[in-house]
Amino acid sequence: MEEEVPISGNSEEFELDEEEEEPITAKKVLDTLRQAWLNEKFAPDLLLHQTDMLDLMLAQVSYMEENLRHLESNDFRGIIHRMELERIKYIICCYLRCRLAKIEEFTDFILAEEAKREEKLLSEEEFTYATTFSNITKKHFEQIVLKYVPTLRDDCAQNLPRPNEMSHVFLTANKDVPSVIVGSNDEEVDLQIGSRHIMPYKLAADLLKNGDVQLL
Amino acid sequence: MFGEQAFELIKELERNSENLPPFNDEIVRGVLDEINAIFEENRKDANTVNETGDRSLIPLLMYRDASLYRNKRCVLAYLYNRLKRIKEMRWQFGVAIPNEIKSNLCEPEIQWFNAYTQNLGTYMRSIGDDIGLNLTDNVGPPKSLYVEVRCVTDYGKYELENGDVILLRENSQHYLPRVECEPLIRQGILEHLG
Repeated sequence: MEEEVPISGNSEEFELDEEEEEPITAKKVLDTLRQAWLNEKFAPDLLLHQTDMLDLMLAQVSYMEENLRHLESNDFRGIIHRMELERIKYIICCYLRCRLAKIEEFTDFILAEEAKREEKLLSEEEFTYATTFSNITKKHFEQIVLKYVPTLRDDCAQNLPRPNEMSHVFLTANKDVPSVIVGSNDEEVDLQIGSRHIMPYKLAADLLKNGDVQLL
Repeated sequence: MFGEQAFELIKELERNSENLPPFNDEIVRGVLDEINAIFEENRKDANTVNETGDRSLIPLLMYRDASLYRNKRCVLAYLYNRLKRIKEMRWQFGVAIPNEIKSNLCEPEIQWFNAYTQNLGTYMRSIGDDIGLNLTDNVGPPKSLYVEVRCVTDYGKYELENGDVILLRENSQHYLPRVECEPLIRQGILEHLG
């Protein structure tokens, strides 16, 4: 049915088309991405990449753009769809920018952690990006300073900038989670579905990974 | 006093928090010389300590070592923070740095900028199974499709995505798709109204 829609400009089908794709719907993809975006935005540390979802969404976006091109420019439905597309693109761009910013800020820390991890948090492209970024920056330091001065000890390695995992985050529970430890004095709290809390990121990191909570 | 020049570098960046001051070659060199001078003195005294076993020199050695380390950190911080600002320029102005700013960069920094631009370009092209996505677009949440802009300089002709060509003259006002004029607004060619 994807092929039938465009020229008629029937926006009803257009919407349906977006939502009826099997086995995973475009709406689901978008919801997942929106969630990933918010989590990424508020978490101090890098989270798991969403390459599959992104690829699906981007393919959908370019498909929709292609469709829109066939719509008459005065058709107001076109304007609404374009607006929707803009929003989706903003979410994607902002999400990826957010990840890049973290990668650039904590490059060496992230790369070192990544090497130790089974499940990779970076997508392949991001990994290449991080490696190159780290290399050009080191080369820059080497070129101007390090090659002219004696190295007594490896002092660059001791102070890798790292994310502050104890910074507090706002979160809401996606389901009931009993006895979660919050705070350093082992205080326990039962998270009820839909309830909102504020706690150090580190203590919520595992819940976030399972999808039990989401950041706000 | 050890470390004064290095601190000068940091202060210089601090004073110019909005823009990028010219690369201070002279002081950077001064700091590097100081580091090497300290290292040399320490090496001599360390030999003396080893030969004579005179432990009274040790505090001095440690003091010099701390100064050396501090100098190194300051000068690296200076470089790193400049890179950060240069990086922001890539996001703000695109692949070409305006000439008046370029003259403030030293040669390795220009090389770094080019490498950074290339790396970012490669990454952006590879997004979404090589569909590619320009991450420097869509900086703010979209509020409307079209925005009203005024042209600040005589830019000349500009072709829109749909093939229309518009003439951007100084003080002319236009109603354009936000996506298309965003880069021009960032470069200071257009000015967002209201």
